[in-house]
Amino acid sequence: MKAVILAAGEGTRLRPLTESRPKPMLPAANRPLLEHVVEAVRDAGIEDIVLVVGYRRERIQSHFQDGDDWGVNIEYAVQAKQLGTGHAVLQAEPHVDGPFVALNGDRVVDAADVERVVERVERDHETTVAVRRSERPSDFGVVTLDGDRVVSLVEKPPKHAAPSDVVNAGIYGFTPAAFDALRETESAGERAVTDTLERLADEGVVRAVTLQGRWLDVSHLWDLLRVNGRVVADDTAPSARVADRASVVGDVTLGADCRLRPGARVLPGSALGANVSVGANAVVANSVVLPDATIGAGAVVRDAVVGENATIAANATVEGGFADVTVGTTVHEDVRLGAVVGDNARVGGAATLTPGTVVGNRVDVETGAHVDGRIESDALVRRA
Amino acid sequence: MCGIVGYAGARDALPVLSDGLKNLEYRGYDSAGVALCEGGAPTVYKTVGEVDDLRAVLPDASEATVGVGHTRWSTHGEPTDANAHPHTDCTGDVAVVHNGIIDNYDDLKAELEADGHAFASETDTEVVPHLVEAELADGASPADAFAAAVARIEGSFALAMVVDGTDAIYLARQDSPLCVGHGDGETFVGSDVTAFLEHAREVTYLENGDVAVVTADELVVEHDGERVERPVEQVEWEADAAEKGGYEHYMLKEIHEQPRALRQTLSGRIDALEGEVDLDVDLPREYLNSLEEVQFVACGTSYHAGLYAANLVEEHADVRATVHVASEYQFRGGRDPWRTLVVAVTQSGETAETLAALREADRTGARTLAVTNVVGSSVTRLADENLYIRAGPEIGVAATKTFVSQVTSLALLAVHVGRERDELTPTEASDLLEDARGLPGAVQRVLDADAQVRAVAEAYADSDAFFFIGRALGHSVALESALKLKEISYDHAEGFPAGELKHGPLALVTDDTPVVAVLTGGARAAETVNSVKEVESRGAPVVGLCTDGIGEKFVDDALAVPDLGAMSPLVANVYAQLFAYHVANLKGRAIDKPRNLAKSVTVE
Repeated sequence: MKAVILAAGEGTRLRPLTESRPKPMLPAANRPLLEHVVEAVRDAGIEDIVLVVGYRRERIQSHFQDGDDWGVNIEYAVQAKQLGTGHAVLQAEPHVDGPFVALNGDRVVDAADVERVVERVERDHETTVAVRRSERPSDFGVVTLDGDRVVSLVEKPPKHAAPSDVVNAGIYGFTPAAFDALRETESAGERAVTDTLERLADEGVVRAVTLQGRWLDVSHLWDLLRVNGRVVADDTAPSARVADRASVVGDVTLGADCRLRPGARVLPGSALGANVSVGANAVVANSVVLPDATIGAGAVVRDAVVGENATIAANATVEGGFADVTVGTTVHEDVRLGAVVGDNARVGGAATLTPGTVVGNRVDVETGAHVDGRIESDALVRRA
Repeated sequence: MCGIVGYAGARDALPVLSDGLKNLEYRGYDSAGVALCEGGAPTVYKTVGEVDDLRAVLPDASEATVGVGHTRWSTHGEPTDANAHPHTDCTGDVAVVHNGIIDNYDDLKAELEADGHAFASETDTEVVPHLVEAELADGASPADAFAAAVARIEGSFALAMVVDGTDAIYLARQDSPLCVGHGDGETFVGSDVTAFLEHAREVTYLENGDVAVVTADELVVEHDGERVERPVEQVEWEADAAEKGGYEHYMLKEIHEQPRALRQTLSGRIDALEGEVDLDVDLPREYLNSLEEVQFVACGTSYHAGLYAANLVEEHADVRATVHVASEYQFRGGRDPWRTLVVAVTQSGETAETLAALREADRTGARTLAVTNVVGSSVTRLADENLYIRAGPEIGVAATKTFVSQVTSLALLAVHVGRERDELTPTEASDLLEDARGLPGAVQRVLDADAQVRAVAEAYADSDAFFFIGRALGHSVALESALKLKEISYDHAEGFPAGELKHGPLALVTDDTPVVAVLTGGARAAETVNSVKEVESRGAPVVGLCTDGIGEKFVDDALAVPDLGAMSPLVANVYAQLFAYHVANLKGRAIDKPRNLAKSVTVE
């Protein structure tokens, strides 16, 4: 049995973090979302994995290489253009010659649930889809069941028209016949797996398996903090160095060569990537800090995502808390997000970031500046 | 420069040998062969070409459980089927593979021919099976015959022999690496551990002068006729780390691995806030304070790393630093060996010329430091102290990640020596180390701009020639950038100190010779901008590797280099790697195995 993991997507709603890395490489507890998926697949007993890669695929390939570090064999299939999930699965066809599971590379799931799908497709050799209940079914593909047979599948129906609260959880069991079915599905531009499933459901040949474990989806920047909080564990790399008078409280993950200076406090829900340095008396809480970032002495970083190699200079403040955040044309009310600071950005000394601020990559925020809203990448923010 | 593999055990030897040769292929690749002991005289298969060509002539299966194999890069004699290894004697009972050069083969060959031996090849190697044959004819045992033959040859060699009637492989080593891997009831031989790393991790490295006999479950080593024990070492490398992982070429894979390689290089070694470096090398403070000169000895890319480092050592440690091409090195007059530190820079640790230079330095009594990527390599056993660059295995012939890791390791050394000599304050050291700490992120930024570099490469790939200019640290990067391009694209490419242009090379500049200028911190960019104007006025297109937009308005294409002080030119070099890669790839070159070149040059 092989697993086909879809990891070609960009994740435009997660900019600026996805300007330089694909969405599956966003970290939760210092490990890419995709790594959590690869491990779940491996723990479900699958050794051969096909990663369908595309956008910024170098990041994925350099991280996973041939899979040896995870005890799996990884092959890569390239989806040069993002023409939908169905098209992505088709790219894996040359690597697959038997029943297989296909799943998203940016959604954290449990091995036991992957195993359920594996067992079902091995037993029945029928198209299988994992389903789960959702409080917001109309955000997903809503499934109507008759026993374990899928009767219909409706993509993102209007709220009042959702036929049930059971949704497609995005783990599929397929036989090689699925490739033909995917090809035969009419498509206008993008070719989605769900279009094919809708058609197969109408023919009555799709079975459902109910998920029981975690299902953590990162749709927006603030979801990263939530998902990180769910998976983060008390774990300190052997090469990390925590000064005697620094403190690490609760579930915090510290990566290789992290340095916490005297008086630094890292509070629950935080994950600090490799080579991150936290200055004297700085406070980091419920935050995701990517590798090589520097947090200066006395800085406060709460509910924040700090990009790779970014600098939060001394006494800068991300106070944290709830805010209304605009993504594209949609306003998301009352989400917990202190700030996002892009890769290689620099927040100058004593600068303050209002809750909900999103600072782009390589932005330079001058000393003492006050920032809110969304700052595009490469901008300079002067002190007013 | 060639590769040796051997197997003695219970399973079929053929696939082990064939896979081993494939693993070693990067070392040499104009011909390949194997000798299989199928009972009776060894069966030899060999051919000109790559290992895949050999596989085409090999049988599907063989009962042999003992055998040796070889991939060759010509030194003596053209690449022909006859000159491919293994070589046999007149009877066909003895088959030998060899790396290195036998200096006295002319005399030996004349002597053997006078005794009636018929030679089938033009190689120096072939004297060995004939010498063994002569000893066997005199009644010697295979082991004694082999030892007697080895005693007669001079030069550098790693030899592996199989003989009719035994299940053993006979080995000898002199100045050319050879190691033995211990499996469970089986034994492996390789000129490099990568030959058998998927099968065995416990490895014995033979030493110069060793003669050994390997069987399925035993290794017996003799040195000067006495039985000796060589330690068994655990290899922690991943064999499979050498696979391409979705990349079209190892070189591109390795370019993209640089942030990770740099993190490994830096890991645990720096305290940027306190300005301290911990390299775990034993160079006492008193000794460093007494130093009058640091000599860097290296070849090729490593030489350019030495140039970069010499600049840093003079500036930050206030000690004279010189850089020597290893094949030109001599410990010349006017120097006190006790006040000279000789730093040998070699990725593989097996570069013959660098080893020879290090031996020369060692003879004078100078203290020696090896800066290398390969734990347990020859240079590490030769030098007084070792500094590992920790870049991980590099397969692409064109060095990329090992260059940045070398320069970074050497920069840490410069800061360390500067601190010990009190030439750097903790604050100054802290700034330098903060720049080093920023390297992985800065290099990642360059990698993220790959599409931009590709576009530039597409615009200029078909040019007549390429020139790279820079000053100070930018000069070493200009040289390295030109080397990278010429190695893999076969285009004419030269690096110059920017100021030297007008003293000659400017005559070569036309509107079809793009000039790449290093315009970063640490490279006296403002002065180089004048050189840019010079070439612009001759119509040459200019690509600027610019920090903070320096000179941007004078260049045709600007690639932004993050500001990392003295480390900026090193970051700029990553653009040049990508540029070389894309130019070569657009031309369809054999990027991982450029013509006439091999990864580690183990012959002088």
